[in-house]
Amino acid sequence: MTNLPLWLIPLFPLLGTILLGTIAVVSSGSKKGAAENIVGGLAVIFPAMSFACVTVLACGMPESGIRETLCNWIDFPLLHVDIGFLFDGLSRIMLLFVTGIGTLIALYSIGYMHGDRGFARFFAYINLFLFSMIVLVLSDNLLLTFFGWEGVGLCSYLLIGFWNKDLKNCKAANKAFIVNRVGDIGFLLGMLCLLSIGGAAVLNYDIFNQFMQMILNGGHLDLVFTLLTLTGVLFFVGCTGKSAQIPLLTWLPDAMAGPTPVSALIHAATMVTSGVYLVARMGKMFCMLPEVLLLIAFVGMFTALWAAITGLFQNDIKKVLAYSTISQLGYMFMAAGVCAFDASIFHVFTHAFFKAALFLGAGAVIHSLAGEQDMRKMGGLLKKTPVTACVMIFAFFAIVGFPGFAGFWSKDLILEKLVSNGPVIAMPFALGGSVNVPVGMILYVVGLATAVITAVYMGRLIIMTFFGEYRGSKESEAHIHEAPAVMLIPMVVLTFGSIFAGYLWADMIGITFFKDSLAAALGGAEAVGESILSVHHVNPVLFAVLGTLAALLGMFIAWRVYANKKIPTPKDSGAPEGSAAAWTFVWDYIHVGFVFPVRVIAWICDVVVDKFLQAFQWTLGAIGEILGDGASTFQVRRVRLQLALSITGVALIVLVALFAEGIVGIPDFVFKLIDSVKSLLGRVI
Amino acid sequence: MLLHLLVFAPFVAAILMVLNSKEDFKASTHMAILFGIVFAGMSVALVANGNMATTPVEWFHIPGCKGPAYYYLYSHGLGAWMVFLSCGLSLVALISARGHLDKNYRNFAIGIFALMGAMNGTFLAADAVLFFFFFEAMVIPAALLIAGFGGEKRKQAAMTFAIYTLVGSAPMMVALWYLLTIADNSLVLSIVLAVQTMPQSAQLLVFLSFLLAFLVKTPIFPFHGWQAITYSEAPAPLSAILTGAMSKAGVFGFIAWMLPIFTLDVPQIMTVLWLGLITAIYGALMALRATDGKKLLAYSSMSHLGIAVAGVFSFSESMLSAVLVLLVAHGISAGVQYFLLGVAERMTGTRNIEEMGGLSHTNPVFGFLFGAAGVLALAVPGTAGFIGEFGVLLSVWDMNPFCAGVVGFCMILSAAYMLRFIQKVIFGTPAREYKEGPRASALEGFAYGVMLLLLLVFGFHPAFVTNALRDLNDSTEQTAAIDEEAAVDEALPDALPVEDEEAVEAEPLESHIATSADVAQLDSSLTAAGFSEEEKKELIRQVIETEANMAKATAAALEKEQSAQPTVKDEEASND
Repeated sequence: MTNLPLWLIPLFPLLGTILLGTIAVVSSGSKKGAAENIVGGLAVIFPAMSFACVTVLACGMPESGIRETLCNWIDFPLLHVDIGFLFDGLSRIMLLFVTGIGTLIALYSIGYMHGDRGFARFFAYINLFLFSMIVLVLSDNLLLTFFGWEGVGLCSYLLIGFWNKDLKNCKAANKAFIVNRVGDIGFLLGMLCLLSIGGAAVLNYDIFNQFMQMILNGGHLDLVFTLLTLTGVLFFVGCTGKSAQIPLLTWLPDAMAGPTPVSALIHAATMVTSGVYLVARMGKMFCMLPEVLLLIAFVGMFTALWAAITGLFQNDIKKVLAYSTISQLGYMFMAAGVCAFDASIFHVFTHAFFKAALFLGAGAVIHSLAGEQDMRKMGGLLKKTPVTACVMIFAFFAIVGFPGFAGFWSKDLILEKLVSNGPVIAMPFALGGSVNVPVGMILYVVGLATAVITAVYMGRLIIMTFFGEYRGSKESEAHIHEAPAVMLIPMVVLTFGSIFAGYLWADMIGITFFKDSLAAALGGAEAVGESILSVHHVNPVLFAVLGTLAALLGMFIAWRVYANKKIPTPKDSGAPEGSAAAWTFVWDYIHVGFVFPVRVIAWICDVVVDKFLQAFQWTLGAIGEILGDGASTFQVRRVRLQLALSITGVALIVLVALFAEGIVGIPDFVFKLIDSVKSLLGRVI
Repeated sequence: MLLHLLVFAPFVAAILMVLNSKEDFKASTHMAILFGIVFAGMSVALVANGNMATTPVEWFHIPGCKGPAYYYLYSHGLGAWMVFLSCGLSLVALISARGHLDKNYRNFAIGIFALMGAMNGTFLAADAVLFFFFFEAMVIPAALLIAGFGGEKRKQAAMTFAIYTLVGSAPMMVALWYLLTIADNSLVLSIVLAVQTMPQSAQLLVFLSFLLAFLVKTPIFPFHGWQAITYSEAPAPLSAILTGAMSKAGVFGFIAWMLPIFTLDVPQIMTVLWLGLITAIYGALMALRATDGKKLLAYSSMSHLGIAVAGVFSFSESMLSAVLVLLVAHGISAGVQYFLLGVAERMTGTRNIEEMGGLSHTNPVFGFLFGAAGVLALAVPGTAGFIGEFGVLLSVWDMNPFCAGVVGFCMILSAAYMLRFIQKVIFGTPAREYKEGPRASALEGFAYGVMLLLLLVFGFHPAFVTNALRDLNDSTEQTAAIDEEAAVDEALPDALPVEDEEAVEAEPLESHIATSADVAQLDSSLTAAGFSEEEKKELIRQVIETEANMAKATAAALEKEQSAQPTVKDEEASND
């Protein structure tokens, strides 16, 4: 048994952040910047150390997990939150790949960011990101998870806008932060809703689970069902923001403005999956709310399909991968929507490997082409950059679900669960009667169709990049080179991951290691969900065959359509045009529908309301001035008039005082006057 | 003694500053900063020492009033932290002003000390007349400083500021005088008693006149006409003090004077709550469109203080802690943003954010500080602002979930305008050619760094701030034992609003309905009261629901305790 304290895990990247941040600020004045060897070494060592900690802890973890409370954080009368950590099956698996892939990508970045002016700053941000992400998955309560949740959002903002001389990048960063903020408010309000149901301590996951169990056992669900459904919806809004689901997904494609390692780490492997993590973490609650589950499943389904189709239209290699990420996240939410939380986490796990490999491969391609991202100017790179090409092709097999690769196991598992767990809902007709809708089948068919499209757009990417003839300029062709070893090693390691990660849960050959390790952490949420959803068992082999056929079909289509297609010489910016643009940016247009009214109201406030108030205020001032001028005309050197005025004044005061029985009574007198006027008015009306 | 010093020593310091030659920039800066450090230290001591009170001394007798006005200072958690803000921000302002001014530094320091003394007096006064005296006295040094050191339209700004705020509190003066003709003296308890004997219409009038003064001071929509021009024309260090400390006098007045004195009914509470929310949205929207950096920050302050006022009138148990943390966080973060914007203005020679840009490349250290200040102002978790805003959100949700949604909307807007602000100032490329003015000195940078660090510290350990409130009840008794009866009169009402709320909320929970007999009894009594069948069902369902929730909460708490013990054992076992 190990005695490593849990706080060591987030401590290392935090130290890294402080150290590298100091180096970045101190060296910012000098011409050359800090030495890259030292900075790069430090940047890799800290994540590697926390990966080592996680590994040691993971090996000796007891079944029920490790709990550790550091200190009190907030102690308000209605809210009690500690800073505490929870290391169980779920956070173990998340931490393993977050720190592991984080270390690999930090290593890769040393090569990728070589020669950049902000070298130290970049790694400070990366370490800060890892710190936040670790806190997100390791925390034992929702508020601390929210700390990590906004922390990763902040790092994402900083890293998207890393090259901040270009205002386009800054705008993308702002957009990412603001759209995420919308989701975060959902998270915040969800917590408030939960607090009002469950009391001051319910934000802690253990107490949360106990509370949900108590609702379930005691049959109190009816009492809190409405509020609980609201809670579920609000939390899911938070997830759509962070995990780029409909409708809050527009920020992720724009986020590709950041350096490619960032896209691999944050916008593919780790941060965007935290929404899936949260749903799994709160599975106990979601499994009791069939309506919310249905919402999650359908949002996931539409996102998966929409993003896959969008992926077909992109010319920018990173944009294809971005939409592919959104689509895969849609799969994960579909799985979560039928209570298959372990399957969704399994897909998070395998996806982290192959999508990181794909992004790093794309990064290597971009690096070798000196920053070119348009696939129409690539082609034939298989011969020039063989290692990169192999990495990408293996990862391609993984993502399309080719038998034996990681994606095959996880994606087919999700598709299988969709059918076996999918609810059947009675839909009433308007004219009377009702029909039973097999929701599971709908989800499955769309999921399978998405799998075909996935194979098509990924096949297109591979063909356009690595096969055919090189389509760039002659001068640039001479400069094409394979990436340095420091970049290739992480890519190769991830390739192994994307081949073999799937064997942790291969139902067909009887391995259920992954499922078993999550079972305790998910706390029977699945069992509850399955009892509600009336699960029927199905033959996994059938699904594997169908899934494989889908992948092969997609690859065949891609080969037929794109292998010999003449690609026009690009003139435009690479963004899709015409109806493709309309399809791609449909959610951006919808967002504008929300932003525009705010702008209009802001305009009204600024130009109409404020100006009116100003005018009103100055009018009052002017009236005061005029009255003052008027009064000053009395101030003349005529003794008799002055005297008369004085006497009148004194007489008035005396009269009033007499009526009001002394000076002190004046206010009472005034109130009486007001009252009598009021009653008079009342009588008149 | 500390209390006397904090109120009077700044005025003495102001007078001592006159000893310096106007020409000798160095000597006067050294002396001013030295004084500033001493006062900041004293304010820390004040916060650390918990509640304190001086012996009441009869001050003077207002004609027509029953009792005398006292010179009587009293420090509780809220006031002590406000004093900390006023002294701390003044110190940084004195440091920061070194870069802005040269010859006139002495006069500036005199003004700042006078302002500090008046602010401390406002936050520490236990006597209504004394409070009002300092509340008005604040305006004069501030207006003079604006008129003397401000931007192009400084005269207009100073006049607007002085007249608007003085006129705003004029009704309060009349109302106060009227109250004192009824009350035995000008301490809170006697005023409370006096208000209760007054007719309803008189209570309303007095309430409205107090309300107006604090609404103007905060400022709350639609009484914010003075704010944008004042904050933008004032020199940046002064703007920082105005928004960071002086504007708190409004919110402070709501908590320390309005809540104890008046018994509010629901329409009044909801009106002020909504005024706060409208201000929050209005300020955020105006900040979205502002191009003058200082106006942008002014509207951002307005938005935050609107949230604070909404929080005050949400009346939940955690209101006081949440609002206090929010005020402290806002004071520091808005302050440091103004200071940094002042540095940017100095470097680029403009405060129009459209004409700035690229500062993070020309001056990376400044870029870092500015970016960090902006991010910390966004209420990202881990900063004090988040604790405050989340606490307020929690109280407001308790009152009305829809209002909490409005606060959430403001938080989205705040991200929008703050990121735009950061982007325009430090990112991109410089929008125009300019000759760079003096940069921030190391001392200045250090001071701003400390302020940012404080935000983080309070964000991770808000107990530093909220513990000051915990002493409220404990040391009230100690004070009572030591001081004269007047102290008891004074100290109790401060704790009153919280207790009142608890009592009100506790009532429905005390009725335990366990058996069906109880339900039947409830049913019959409801029938007797003339409720219809449906209404009855609904009411009974609600009661049972409350009951069930309570039972669950209790059980959850119990289970937590029980589960805590086995976990410990588990760990021990696993350690073996």
